[in-house]
Amino acid sequence: MNAHTIAVTVVGGYLGAGKTTLVNHVLRSTDERIAVIVNDFGEISIDEDLIVAADSDKLTLANGCICCTLADGFAAALMQIRSAGTLPQRLLIEASGVADPAQIAAYGHTPGLRLDAVVVMADAEQVRRQANDRWVADTVRMQLAAADLLVVNKIDLLDDADKADELCDWLAGLSTGATIVRASRAAVPIDVLLGPRSASDAVDTHERPAPERAAAPGWHVVADLFESQTVVLDAPVPKPVIEALLADLPDGVARLKGLVQAAPAAGASDTTATEAADATAYLIEAVGKRTSMTPYATDPTQPPPRWAISLISHKGSLAPDWLESRLHERN
Amino acid sequence: MGTNQPFVIYPARRVITINPAFPFGEAVAVAGNRILGVGTTDELASWGEHRIDDCFANHVIMPGFIEAHCHVMSGGLWNSTYVGYFDRRDPQGLLWPGCTSIDDVLERLAKAAADMSDDSQTLLAWGLDPIYFPGERLVARHLDTVTGDRPTLILHASGHLATINSALMERCGIDETATSPGVARGGDGLPNGELHEPAGMMLAGEAFADMMKANRSEQARWRYANEARNAGHTLLTDLGTTQLWDPEQLGNWKKVTSGPAYPARVMVAMSNLFGATADPAELAELCVKLKSEQTDKLRFGIVKLILDGSIQGFTARISWPHYYKPPPGHIGNGMWLTAPDQMADLVEPYHRAGLTVHCHCNGDEATEAFVEAVEQVLERYPRWDHRHTVQHCQLTTPDQYRRMAALGMCANIFSNHIYYWGDQHRDVTVGPERAARMDACGTALASGVSFSIHSDSPITPLGHLHTAWCAVNRVTASGQVLGPDERIGVPDALRAITIEAARQIKMDAEIGSIEAGKLADFAVLEDNPLTVDPMALRDIGVWGTVLGGVLQPAQISDA
Repeated sequence: MNAHTIAVTVVGGYLGAGKTTLVNHVLRSTDERIAVIVNDFGEISIDEDLIVAADSDKLTLANGCICCTLADGFAAALMQIRSAGTLPQRLLIEASGVADPAQIAAYGHTPGLRLDAVVVMADAEQVRRQANDRWVADTVRMQLAAADLLVVNKIDLLDDADKADELCDWLAGLSTGATIVRASRAAVPIDVLLGPRSASDAVDTHERPAPERAAAPGWHVVADLFESQTVVLDAPVPKPVIEALLADLPDGVARLKGLVQAAPAAGASDTTATEAADATAYLIEAVGKRTSMTPYATDPTQPPPRWAISLISHKGSLAPDWLESRLHERN
Repeated sequence: MGTNQPFVIYPARRVITINPAFPFGEAVAVAGNRILGVGTTDELASWGEHRIDDCFANHVIMPGFIEAHCHVMSGGLWNSTYVGYFDRRDPQGLLWPGCTSIDDVLERLAKAAADMSDDSQTLLAWGLDPIYFPGERLVARHLDTVTGDRPTLILHASGHLATINSALMERCGIDETATSPGVARGGDGLPNGELHEPAGMMLAGEAFADMMKANRSEQARWRYANEARNAGHTLLTDLGTTQLWDPEQLGNWKKVTSGPAYPARVMVAMSNLFGATADPAELAELCVKLKSEQTDKLRFGIVKLILDGSIQGFTARISWPHYYKPPPGHIGNGMWLTAPDQMADLVEPYHRAGLTVHCHCNGDEATEAFVEAVEQVLERYPRWDHRHTVQHCQLTTPDQYRRMAALGMCANIFSNHIYYWGDQHRDVTVGPERAARMDACGTALASGVSFSIHSDSPITPLGHLHTAWCAVNRVTASGQVLGPDERIGVPDALRAITIEAARQIKMDAEIGSIEAGKLADFAVLEDNPLTVDPMALRDIGVWGTVLGGVLQPAQISDA
């Protein structure tokens, strides 16, 4: 497996938490070519102005994205996506309202795919009641525990900030190390959802121009809650340094993504030509508790990729040069 | 007389009508596809010009058995080699002895492989249930010893797992780098060939897909009905396996049932599973349209919904104290396949369209959610005689049966579970007390709930004499009686497999008993179920069936 694979984002959460709103938000906000897989069309309503063609088993969207169903199983949906022309860069799988997102995430390990993140939506007003419901308490708690990225949606419906803080603390207790993001109308900053753009620019070799798209009216993107930092790497980084970075990320980190050359061992900081040749390229990613280092096959006929690491953190949680110094202190 | 066509009188050793007003006869008269009457030969002869056919003179004639819950894949799976634990007869009537050890499974596979001419062809098998091999686990390295380089896949009885050999693992690129949690690993940390759940099984690629595709064919539909005929069944309910909006699948149903040779009637349920649309209003509309086009042999009008998983898979929703001895790491309760608070809205459009909703509820929490949904819908849209049915109904409690009776709901009870998994339910899944009162035909009867019993074939083998035997004796595979107080008498069991099954699919005006005017659908038996030792009920031979007046001899080939 290498990093030239289709990233998989699973969107889970109980009924009414905002999964469909999030899917529509992603389709409007990213330049990635996305294929959406839903249980069935009845459960999702893609905003009509995004749809250019609809047949019984597939919707084609204006920005080249497509949407298909699990009517004949995941394998059939994947085949349909692969035969629809240019491969998508990302699969967005919308789980049913009672599904265990962790089980859906297992599809992200299909050859050619790479699990990026499990995003679980929670309804700020309802989630406590649901998590104590006589019938679905365990289902809802299982969903919350499966999240890498836990979106506390409809946060604007809570009376005050204290209630929001208290709710998020309570959710943190139910999660297993997820990054918790507050949102209204599912408007999570797209880089937090899908990974930092600066790094994905480097990874994505099939770049295409962003289509003109109007923002949906009334969406309040809470981008000012996050900030990002990027380190451009002009030399390989010792592999233990990268491993240590991923193993010990501070809580403030919402997302990390990078394309790195890992030198076989830590050692001299001066990099020789031999060392660069021995280095192995990796795509590194982190979201919530999930971290991964995926070998990355470079194409010798293409110019070398941009080696860089980007991270997004909750505003004020990290020093602006945290990543830079972290990479150097162990170097 | 009411008929001007010549008719046939079939004298029999006994005609059991399942009509309490006229329970027995010496003969039955058939005019065309319908029953002219039942009584003595002389009484029937008085109708006019007739012919007497003595072919059933030594047989017992009953109403054709009606299976209200099975699946068309029980025809499709016979494209693959059977390696299940229990004896099973295929649709050609050939007996496949159960594979009661790992060596038996391997021997069966070795023979199947030797019979295949094309070396590259994948060997497909089905029915493996590791619950019966508690010691060693059958894995790829076992398979390799008999299959060599031939790719091989075994689908487990549960349908949730598959085991493949090393050749197929290699072909599909499943190796130590596999990251999927659906790829099981052995003690050495390497993939052992076991693939879990759809996410794992799909890694087997075409081998798995081929197995599923076989269920859509005409051949699968023929085998499905042939197996039914061999067991005395004249109607099968395909409960939620056909995607009715798919022209190919619907077309195949229409095609096979169009001629007189096809040996069963089929009720095909509308289902929202694997749906191209989940809009129940649209599905209700389609179901009503299909119902208006139905034929004698191809019927519509019922809807399948599903709430939970299975008890033996620890995925059924069971109320406190939940599972008895769940496997390590189990989350405590089963899983919802539909959100319970969504049920009323889901049932409503079908209910309003006049359709009957059949909902899969293995655990009592699922039953509770369905009963509550029906209550809510009835408050919004009162409707009499809906016959909404709790399917499987395995752990339904006495209070739930009382509510079902009050609401006019029916039950279809999974009695075969008592024999096939009763020991496991007592010792592992739900414990002694709840195992003793599961599949509670006795309680259903006492509560006044109309109930049928079923096989869920291919999950357990189709055959209502066996299913009735389970309800009557409640004997497990190990020979112990599980909950003697829930046993029912043979006459009640015979009603459950005929008229009560017809009732819950709303066909009791046409079939389910032997009465003048009804369709001439009979099970023709070698002995009398009312007089044999109840423990011998399942051993009664089946001559075959009569379907709409057409003789359909069973195919039994004991080689």
